Amino acid sequence: MAEFQEIKATAREHTGSAATRAIRRAGRVPGIIYGDQKPPKTISLDYGEVWRQVKTGTFLSTVFTVDLDGEKTRVIPRELQLDPVRDFPTHVDFLRLGKGARIAVEVPVSFINEEESPGLKRGGVLNVVRHTIEMLCPAESIPDSIEADVTGLDIGDSIHISNMKIPDDVELTITDRDFTVATIAGRMAEIIEEVVEDLEEGLEGEEGIEGEEGVEGEEGAEDGEDSQD
Amino acid sequence: MLQPKRTKFRKAQKGRIKGTAKGGSSLNFGSYGLKAQKPARITSRQIEAARRAMTRQMKRVGRVWIRIFPDVPVSKKPTEVRMGKGKGAPEFWCAKVKPGRIMFEIDGVSDVIAREALRLGAAKLPVKTRVVARLGDN
Repeated sequence: MAEFQEIKATAREHTGSAATRAIRRAGRVPGIIYGDQKPPKTISLDYGEVWRQVKTGTFLSTVFTVDLDGEKTRVIPRELQLDPVRDFPTHVDFLRLGKGARIAVEVPVSFINEEESPGLKRGGVLNVVRHTIEMLCPAESIPDSIEADVTGLDIGDSIHISNMKIPDDVELTITDRDFTVATIAGRMAEIIEEVVEDLEEGLEGEEGIEGEEGVEGEEGAEDGEDSQD
Repeated sequence: MLQPKRTKFRKAQKGRIKGTAKGGSSLNFGSYGLKAQKPARITSRQIEAARRAMTRQMKRVGRVWIRIFPDVPVSKKPTEVRMGKGKGAPEFWCAKVKPGRIMFEIDGVSDVIAREALRLGAAKLPVKTRVVARLGDN
């Protein structure tokens, strides 16, 4: 279980795009704390501190204690907005946690014993279907990660959620089916695909030369297009 | 090469690529990805060349996902033809890519091989790109 991390914040008075842009220009990340039947509070956090936590990869499943000008609140990040181009954090939503709160969190899956899988040794690929698994757990004991053991798995085999060890105090949010977490896929299908593509490329090259000859009108080009289909 | 099976209209207007990617800006399948930093039209040939460069560098280990699809027909007039007399014939297909879009994803190979494969793939594309990794992996 991840230890509680402390993060310092300051209250921000103004909301809206202009005010938040000014906060970002000042090297801070705007955020909000809500939940637990209390009014929401708009805050701002230090950019470097947020980025350090985000880089760990477990930011959304870590409980933080936000120190808001001396007043401490236990929270969990619910949403992290990133800039689509440069991937820096632009906004963080925190959910206030009351006593004995149970929350739905996305816990990362880690794969172990990859060397002991005959399928992977033979050149198979571990095709991860779910990188994270959503589960309901007490705020005090959120697992760091869930281990998936691939020992003895061959090409074509898969790991389902029922094959994995889930802590006792944790409940899965998907309970109606035994969903797949990962599969071990073979390489043969893709190799055949590539060979077919190489052959197709050869044919296309020949067609291209024909196309260049018939450049007089639209009809000729249309014929070329049809032949490609 | 990728192209639509059938389309409603044969020809499309050129348009402009404005703004940043609204979706497809985070990794969905693999552990590493190639993210566009500028707007661009990527042709189906460029996508195929990039895919080939990546799979060959990876020596057929691991997996590559293509997150863009060339669904815009680009027309061209024949050479030595005067202007006017209607729009040219469809010549090739392209994907309109906005900054922030993940174009390719890779998984099943080491960090060094993945980054090198994406670097080689990026060399085939007419756009400035950046290699991104799943948070926690870098």
